[in-house]
Amino acid sequence: MIGVKPPEFDPASTEHVTTLPVAGRTTVRAYVRELSLRHRRAFAVLVAVNSVAVLASMVGPYLLGGLIQDLADGETEPPLGRTLAFFAVALAVQAVFVRMVRLRGAVLGERMLADLREDFLVRAVGLPPGVLERAGTGDLLARINTDVDRLAKAMREAVPQMAIAVVWAALLVAAIVFTSPPLGLSVLLAVPVLVVVCVWYFRRAPAGYRSEAAGYAAVAGALAETVDAGRTIEAHRLERERIGLSDRRVGEWTAWERYTLWLRSVLIPAINVYHALILIGVLLLGGWFTLQGWMTVGELTTGALLAQMLIEPVGMILRWLDELQVAQVSLARLVGVREVEDDGGDASLVPGGRELAADRVRFGYLAGSDVLHGVSLDVPPGTRMALVGPSGAGKSTLGRLLAGIYAPRVGEVTLGGARLAGMTAERVREQVALVNQEHHVFVGPLRDNLLLARTDAADAELWAALGAVDAGDWVRALPDGLDSEVGSGGLSVTPAQAQQIALARLVLADPHTLVLDEATSLLDPRAARHLERSLARVLEGRTVIAIAHRLHTAHDADVIAVVEDGRISELGSHDELVAAGGAYAALWRSWHG
Amino acid sequence: MHIRDLPHADPGDPDVRSGFRFLVWLFRRQLGGQAKALGWGTLHMATIAILPIFMGMAVEAVVDDSGRRLATTGLVMLGVALVMAFADTMLHRTAVTNWITAAARVQQLLARRTAELGGVLTRQVAAGEVVKVSTGDVERIGWFVESFSRFAAAVVVTLGVCLGLIVYEPRIGLVVLAGIAAVCLSVWPLLPAATRRADQERSRSGRATELASDTVAGLRVLRGIGGEELFLNRYRGASQEVRRASVRNARMWSLIDAVQVVMPGLLMIAVIWQGVGLASEGRLGAGELVTVYAAVSFLLFPLRLFQEAAMAFTFSRPSARRAVRVLGLRRERPVGDGADTVGAVGADEPLSGDLWDPATGLLAVRGRLTAVVCGDPDFAERLAARLGGHPAQGDDEPSAQLGGAPLDEASLAVARTAVLVQDKDPVLLSGTLGELLTVPASGRVAAEEALGAAQCQDVLTALAQTTGDGGDPMGARITERGRSLSGGQRQRLALARSLITDPEVLVLDEPTSAVDAHTEARIADGLGALRSGRTTVVFTSSPLMLDRADEVVFVHGGKVSAVGTHRELLSGTAEYRSVVTRETEDEVAAVGATGPGPAGAAGPSGVPGSPDPNPDQNPAQGPAQDLAEETA
Repeated sequence: MIGVKPPEFDPASTEHVTTLPVAGRTTVRAYVRELSLRHRRAFAVLVAVNSVAVLASMVGPYLLGGLIQDLADGETEPPLGRTLAFFAVALAVQAVFVRMVRLRGAVLGERMLADLREDFLVRAVGLPPGVLERAGTGDLLARINTDVDRLAKAMREAVPQMAIAVVWAALLVAAIVFTSPPLGLSVLLAVPVLVVVCVWYFRRAPAGYRSEAAGYAAVAGALAETVDAGRTIEAHRLERERIGLSDRRVGEWTAWERYTLWLRSVLIPAINVYHALILIGVLLLGGWFTLQGWMTVGELTTGALLAQMLIEPVGMILRWLDELQVAQVSLARLVGVREVEDDGGDASLVPGGRELAADRVRFGYLAGSDVLHGVSLDVPPGTRMALVGPSGAGKSTLGRLLAGIYAPRVGEVTLGGARLAGMTAERVREQVALVNQEHHVFVGPLRDNLLLARTDAADAELWAALGAVDAGDWVRALPDGLDSEVGSGGLSVTPAQAQQIALARLVLADPHTLVLDEATSLLDPRAARHLERSLARVLEGRTVIAIAHRLHTAHDADVIAVVEDGRISELGSHDELVAAGGAYAALWRSWHG
Repeated sequence: MHIRDLPHADPGDPDVRSGFRFLVWLFRRQLGGQAKALGWGTLHMATIAILPIFMGMAVEAVVDDSGRRLATTGLVMLGVALVMAFADTMLHRTAVTNWITAAARVQQLLARRTAELGGVLTRQVAAGEVVKVSTGDVERIGWFVESFSRFAAAVVVTLGVCLGLIVYEPRIGLVVLAGIAAVCLSVWPLLPAATRRADQERSRSGRATELASDTVAGLRVLRGIGGEELFLNRYRGASQEVRRASVRNARMWSLIDAVQVVMPGLLMIAVIWQGVGLASEGRLGAGELVTVYAAVSFLLFPLRLFQEAAMAFTFSRPSARRAVRVLGLRRERPVGDGADTVGAVGADEPLSGDLWDPATGLLAVRGRLTAVVCGDPDFAERLAARLGGHPAQGDDEPSAQLGGAPLDEASLAVARTAVLVQDKDPVLLSGTLGELLTVPASGRVAAEEALGAAQCQDVLTALAQTTGDGGDPMGARITERGRSLSGGQRQRLALARSLITDPEVLVLDEPTSAVDAHTEARIADGLGALRSGRTTVVFTSSPLMLDRADEVVFVHGGKVSAVGTHRELLSGTAEYRSVVTRETEDEVAAVGATGPGPAGAAGPSGVPGSPDPNPDQNPAQGPAQDLAEETA
């Protein structure tokens, strides 16, 4: 059997773990309409300059048709000088306008692309913290990296080129019909062949190219992982497995290349035959009409040369059509972020104090399976509370509820008597901050990394905050101080320094309550010890809820809550719990010998 | 070579002496494919070049009033068109096949080189550079390899057309030949500047993408603390800068476009001028004038290929250089017995016995669980790496010995089989959980046992929920580096993986630093039970883990300073106490006053430089063999 079936394994199916919505057709259409409306002037300019360029390019065939007509009429002295002058003028006009077309096309494409990526980021930074916490940033990252990249090509090239090609082809067909209406018939005759094949092709191509691109990305992904995990691979003697995996990925990718190559093997001859049919149709049909005396040789020549010119725009339309279709999928993923429900919160909700309380709170990530089963807790201002307990018991979930990131399913978490989950994210973070293992250092100057916590802070305040967390010395030692570029690509900071930056942000943001989730657990014990001193200074005078891995953290707390199976099983000070002789006491004895 | 035969069974041994030589090497791997593409390309362009002749003949027939000649010409044109369609398709197929086989070959070579280098790789070259070769450079190299045959075909046919025109009508032929040379030369000087601008634009847009993904990566921080507007404005600035750079770049290309309109247009005017002159002298028919006009417009097509080939070449040279830099990397130190090929199991006997590090005097007795406490984490990391032999970072210390045999002298494969060093930051490879846990292993430890010992029950439950059907956690997907899991969950899965391997000696560096105390205590029990009878070395400072070790070794100042059980050292060695219980001097005093239990008994500690190791517990510094016999 001739033909290649699409490979069974589709790399695109596992490409992204989609945790955020993908926009439906109507949302995408509405967005495209909005975007085109915003740039309608740039569009109009592009179409106008393009039309002039195309019209100028048609002058050649007309002039040549006239010359041929003169020659055919037996004229021995055709008006050569005048013709050549026209030719030269048309050429100059064409050159100037072709240049403008290219430039206007780029201006339009770049503006749309800039709008698109900025719109996306605006939406992304507006996502509710709860959605981010649950969905993670992986999906968003994939969208900004892969999908914006794919759209870049579409916006930069496909959209302007498509606009150019459509205008171009339409003008050419119109010119052919204008030259001699019967010639339009030959264009029409050739169209069905192309339409049938194109329908077949474009029904398969976008999905094929998507899978192919995903397959190629998977090849690079496997290699990137091998590089990243070099030590692990060497230690576990996984070299053969990694090479095998890379070879398998190459096989999967090339299988899709083979499939799309087959698709093009059908399309390419069809396009060729279409071009030939138009040209031959114009020559034969036009030639016959000319022989009948219904049109002139000059018109035939002009028509044939115009038909030859049609190759270019039709090729362009076909080339960019599948690019646009692939782009549509990426666009749906970018625009999809707009569909996340924005539970903006109630701006009028203001806490009436600093007392944090949970009242018979139930919560679960999946319907029907709760992680917390009726937890009640009172945290008076200034208390230091430690949450201890085995993994999976619900400590982190409880911490997130107390930080206002999730809303309880049943029961209430209140701050100063007002519902925490009902407040806006901006209001919540003035009061409560969650500090976790994520100490992201943003690319850019160190100053920006601190300013985000208080945008109007003066340098003196930044230095004070750095000093408070023992970071003043190493920052002063940096080549450009606060202006030093940090983050990936800049100066590399150690995990401990990253943590200090995170702590300095807290000093600047100055919330009265902190929820610490394993804040220092990924660090070396030695570094952690040093940091704990910095941390202690930050914590002074604040309400602290610490999810503790290390028992000495618990030991220092005012109150310890032991969380087991989504319930609080023990609650009290260190001494009380040790005296009570429960689970905590046993652990403490084992820890402390 | 067909695409369906990929991946290559053996991608070969590349010539990495220089980027250019590498391109030549790649080219030589596919001489047949290149020849085929050249053949089809020549046929394709020849048919395109021939069509104008028939156009002219058709017009000529009409001028001469010959319906029969018109019909015959039409039929011949149809035949030519069919050949053209076929040749075009075959050219595309062969050229793309060349592209893909070359790209696949480079990807496979990269995979082999990186896997063989393992932990050494990132010490020699930045990880990003390797990834850049695989994502961007391979495409450019493939582009050059692919466009080369089309370029060669275009040269052949263009020269053919010019030759034909010269023979047909020397005056016009020479004008065209001179014109083509002028067109090529007019674009050429603009290309380097244009490609440079394109590169600048690319790097700037890469910077904007980096800013965006960086902002998204830290989004939880932004939403939690604030500063969204600050970062949005920053990104808007970068994005607008990219836009302006792109438009500037387009200005250059639009100039090239205009030149490409003007130069052939001037050529066309010259041709018509000459042609009409000839025609009015009666030496050229009307149809022939059409032929010449159409032939010159055909020449624009191969001209564009010249430009593409020039660009492909300018872009691919630096790419090939970067590829060669990665492919040319080797392990710094030749691995013993010349057996540095991956997985080669030499004639070496499997190693076993006591593990001994001459530099520090650390001794891990065969079959026992030894815990190592080391105040300096960097030193601990280096020591752990040395215990496995063939450390990535070569230091001048002597090799660790297993059963009296220096590990560095055994082949890499034998050393890694005998000793598994799980570093501080083990990476979870993406794939299903089942795939993650499928590692070369002794086969004695079942996955369930290992997962149980590492306390992974809650991870399994969480993973099972992600499978959709709520079924087998082994089929659940772990994302790259296990980012979907918490730090503690990642550590426990990594530990389970190492336990499944069940090596003769297992060295673990801080395996439970991100695990809570409850779970850590259970892991310590599970580890002891599962590894009973096997040699295990754990670098840790957690009392819960230390308490369960058969023997605790305290390394201080680069040497073993005390050996004993956790409780013995706790009461006997002040330095040890200070490291393990994380008490600074003043805190000790405070705890001593109020704290429970033995904390008070230690009293003020940290007398400078006076660790008092019990001489009886010092390890024998002699050959490990002796001690093994003693303990046996």
